[in-house]
Amino acid sequence: MIQKKTVKQIIFYSAILALWQIVAMLKIWPPYLFPSPLKVFDTLVHGFMDTTFIFGIIISMRRLLIGYGISIVLGGLLGLVMSKFKTVEDTLGGLVLGLQTLPSICWLPLALLWFGLNEKAIIFIVIIGALFSVTMATYSAVKNLPQLYVKAGRNMGARRFRLLIEVIMPAAMPPIISGLKQGWSFAWRSLMAGELLFLNLGLGYLLAMGRELNDMSQVIAVMITITLISIFTDKLIFGRIELGIRRRWGP
Amino acid sequence: MPAMLKIENVTKSYAHNGKRLDVLKDINLEINDGEFVCIVGPSGCGKTTLLNMVAGLDFDHTGKILHRGEPVGIPGPDRLMIFQELGLFPWLTVQKNVEFGLKLKKMPSKERAKLAREYIDMVHLTKFKDSYIHQLSGGMKQRVALARALVLDPEILLMDEPFTALDAQTRDSLHDELQKIWSRTKKTIIFVTHNVREAVCLGDRVLVFSSLPGAVKASFLIDLPRPRRIEDEGLMKHVRQVLKELKFEIDKHFHEEYDTKEDS
Ligand SMILES: Nc1ncnc2c1ncn2[C@@H]1O[C@H](COP(=O)(O)OP(=O)(O)O)[C@@H](O)[C@H]1O
Ligand SMILES: [Mg+2]
Repeated sequence: MIQKKTVKQIIFYSAILALWQIVAMLKIWPPYLFPSPLKVFDTLVHGFMDTTFIFGIIISMRRLLIGYGISIVLGGLLGLVMSKFKTVEDTLGGLVLGLQTLPSICWLPLALLWFGLNEKAIIFIVIIGALFSVTMATYSAVKNLPQLYVKAGRNMGARRFRLLIEVIMPAAMPPIISGLKQGWSFAWRSLMAGELLFLNLGLGYLLAMGRELNDMSQVIAVMITITLISIFTDKLIFGRIELGIRRRWGP
Repeated sequence: MPAMLKIENVTKSYAHNGKRLDVLKDINLEINDGEFVCIVGPSGCGKTTLLNMVAGLDFDHTGKILHRGEPVGIPGPDRLMIFQELGLFPWLTVQKNVEFGLKLKKMPSKERAKLAREYIDMVHLTKFKDSYIHQLSGGMKQRVALARALVLDPEILLMDEPFTALDAQTRDSLHDELQKIWSRTKKTIIFVTHNVREAVCLGDRVLVFSSLPGAVKASFLIDLPRPRRIEDEGLMKHVRQVLKELKFEIDKHFHEEYDTKEDS
């Protein structure tokens, strides 16, 4: 079955590439607006050889990991506090829910005024991008936790911190993981949006540069790179975590 | 020597449509060390509530609950509850579930792994020690819950309709096993059930609860030899007596569906 699927995929992508090559060869649009796949491949290889793409990836990933890491810690704590204290839930809860609807890039002007045109501003955007998803996911996971697990834990002598670490957190993990996954994709989008508007090396910047230089093959090469990174992180990191959860909790 | 468990004038009420509704009223009970007590009663008569109070999971009541003469406090592994829905932890393997309470007691990991293994062996789940809970059948889950509780060496074991959801064969074999374990470990067991035959088969004493407010309506000593089996003819005399009391209660509150037959 898997092989059949792979064959289909190979045919599908080859067809896209062939069609793309044919349209490019028809020269309906000038090559700088509609480059051939070979040209894009060439740019991709070139970008990696002269290290601009590699540095772009490293710089972007660094921002993403720092920002995302901070929003996991912060969002986890916020969500936990919201689920445990009624006053916080009634006040901060509504605010978080409201802020979640605001696209994180809208925070950029504020970030620029606060931090200036620098690394801090863009990391701030990434943090905001993931923060509210992580907060809401942690909050609702802990809030809707089956009380049975908590009772069972207390029954066997778990209290306070041990109860939190040994029972509440693991029991709430499946919905929290989906929140983390959503947070990751929001953080990634925020990063790209921020980098596009922000003239400092990174994947988004390489994308913007391609446009500035009227170099469509660079634009597409960077787009492909970004897509591949997204797919890899999704499959390798979250795919594995979700598999682990399914193995434990069952389908 | 004080009784293993003494319940004195315990009344419990919940807020209900703005009023206080008594769920349990003036419960008086004494349970001896090593006794196997079964409780039957219409649903909603407060059986689960009573077990929760003994376990310390529900403490808002009047009257006294004394464990060896001391008021019961916060929940602890000396009074362990096996919940109706079990509450096994799906994120842990069978082995780790059984080790859970030992870990809380800060037992060194080697020692607790060994002890947990002994109890897993005792309930015949050796082959499944590394399985996760969702991979087990209903009867196997019951066995894990039993092992998870017994490994902590509780003085009182509280079992809330544990075998209700099982098929008859699995239930019979768990009856055998529970009686064996009980005669070996001499735990004090309070066992709530819907099934009168099961109560008579397992208990030294069967208590019939009345409903709304719940109270001990009648108490029957079952002095039949052990091990008993659910199909033993000798049980029938007691079953009939208990049923008579219970039926009276149920007719009083006829809205409840009741399971008094052999069971399918
Ligand atoms: N937290 C609660 N708040 C209000 N009423 C409750 C609560 N828990 C139980 N009750 C009520 O108390 C009564 C006894 O419940 P329970 O102890 O679960 O009965 P049983 O186990 O005998 O079926 C029921 O009528 C139920 O509706
Ligand atoms: Mg009940």
